[in-house]
Amino acid sequence: MEESRRKHRILMVSDFFYPNFGGVESHIYYLSQCLLKRGHKVVIMSHAYGNRTGVRYITNNLKVYYIPWRPFLMQNTLPTFYLTLPIIRTILIREKISIVHGHQAFSTLCHESLMHARTMGCKVVFTDHSLYGFADPGSIHMNKILQFTLADIDHAICVSHTSKENTVLRSGIKPETVFVVPNAVDTAMFTPAPTQLARDEVVIVVISRLVYRKGADLLVEVIPEVCRLFPHVRFIIGGDGPKRVRLEEMREKFSLQDRVEMLGAVPHSQVRSVLISGHIFLNSSLTEAFCIAILEAASCGLLTVSTRVGGVPEVLPEDMIVLAEPAPQDMVRAIEQAIDMLPNIDPQIMHSRMKSYYSWHDVAKRTEIVYDCVMDSSNKSILERLPRYLICGAWAGKIFCLVMIVNFILWRLLEFFQPAESIEEVPDMASMCNHEDDN
Amino acid sequence: MKNRRDSHDTYKYVRTDTSTLDKVIDVHDVYVKRSKLRVLFSYIGRLILLANMSLLLIEKDKLSIVSFWRLFLGVVSAKLLQYKPIKKESVVIMPSFGVQLETHYWNGRIDRKFIQMGKILKPVLNECVTPVTCYWSLVLVLRDEDQLALVFQKLQPPIKILVPVWKALCKSTNLEDHSHSLK
Repeated sequence: MEESRRKHRILMVSDFFYPNFGGVESHIYYLSQCLLKRGHKVVIMSHAYGNRTGVRYITNNLKVYYIPWRPFLMQNTLPTFYLTLPIIRTILIREKISIVHGHQAFSTLCHESLMHARTMGCKVVFTDHSLYGFADPGSIHMNKILQFTLADIDHAICVSHTSKENTVLRSGIKPETVFVVPNAVDTAMFTPAPTQLARDEVVIVVISRLVYRKGADLLVEVIPEVCRLFPHVRFIIGGDGPKRVRLEEMREKFSLQDRVEMLGAVPHSQVRSVLISGHIFLNSSLTEAFCIAILEAASCGLLTVSTRVGGVPEVLPEDMIVLAEPAPQDMVRAIEQAIDMLPNIDPQIMHSRMKSYYSWHDVAKRTEIVYDCVMDSSNKSILERLPRYLICGAWAGKIFCLVMIVNFILWRLLEFFQPAESIEEVPDMASMCNHEDDN
Repeated sequence: MKNRRDSHDTYKYVRTDTSTLDKVIDVHDVYVKRSKLRVLFSYIGRLILLANMSLLLIEKDKLSIVSFWRLFLGVVSAKLLQYKPIKKESVVIMPSFGVQLETHYWNGRIDRKFIQMGKILKPVLNECVTPVTCYWSLVLVLRDEDQLALVFQKLQPPIKILVPVWKALCKSTNLEDHSHSLK
């Protein structure tokens, strides 16, 4: 049964990849590594980061193309519509790609790649990692672009059921075409402290970017109240951002310098060492599609207190997380409840449970099912696909159709001037290594 | 003397091994077909520039910003359509001595560059990524230098032609490494 699994050749595309660090980046990396272990061929494409441009091979011969298009806003490539067609076409042909998997709705490179891949008749999958609004101008614009990209897609993946609902409402695609494949955590990296911490002093850890979206303003209200009510509690705050100033001011105002420790930006390799110095992990995000940070904390044996937003309630069972409304009073109540639950918490048992609940190999297996479904869907010509764009809106539908027709014409012109046969295919590194070993 | 040929639509590869005394000099030539269309375009570009300059000379009393703009466009088009036809690029491998990289033009000019064998750390088949394309190139990683040395300066031969040249370079640099380690 294992041997009869189909092997796919996947191109992961996103503006967000290493050396930039975040949830999307680590999702792409871990998923790619697990897919490689399952025998698929995976290549990643992102834009250049500073001097890092060209082809790089990372762990297990995972090939990464850093194409020399500079980012222009928040690590996003400048949207050029058609200018990325030649390089994407070249990569798809030379790597013999069968599926293009785009990540993150905010990535312009992802949208352009999916558009060009569909024009070339390649199968595409899209994974949405975040929740977005509906009312502000930025969200309206982003949702329209998402509607365009997902109009002609066979299947999409979301990281939680809440995220699926959000994506379906924003883009108008059919819910039955969206799979839910949650994120996971590297439980081998996030292990509890070898010896349990003493419970005479309760340490609450916060590790997040100190921005509005991550609820830094809530922390400013909650921390002084908790410190007033519970004299044996202290806080460790890791992370940096524009709201750090407010937290520093709060420390000064309430004289909490000895009870609130600010660590600044914490590199990901040191997150575990910060987590294991605490008993409770506090997450105050105002919006989260999934929240990998909670998984990391639970894997290290910490009890989590979080705001009940987005996909957070789907992440952990009730005995591992205490949920609160994103309001200071309710969060203080939740922290009190968590402190009372602490004596019943065994970090090692929590870690073992996390190992059984979440693993990247499981995510890869589920993603493989999505790939199999996508490959089974029928190929349609451009004329059969254009009506899917027309239903996107009275004016938008016609503009989308025009964009796709121009893209198709440009692709045919490229096929004429630079035939696919003239683009050399790349030999597989794995087969080359085996060949050298045999020799 | 041993010869080996390989051909591609645009490029032709010829390998020649010449024995002198106890050494074998390995010569790898990559010939490129002269493009008649490119020659025609380069003449058209020069004609456009010539016409623009003549017009300027005739209209010298009525010079305006448009005339200078036309001249600028003429220079740009002549530059873009310029075609310096290359006849062949050669890699001459002299074991224990060095590698000579040559570019031969149709007008008789030859550009040469010599790299000592001891300076070469490793020949590498590199994938170059540009904003519009991706292609293979053969480069030499040199000791104590940041820049890679391109083996084929002007041409972009296909991987089928690059591989035998790369293997020959690897063989001669490995021999050099072995002789160094024995010392």
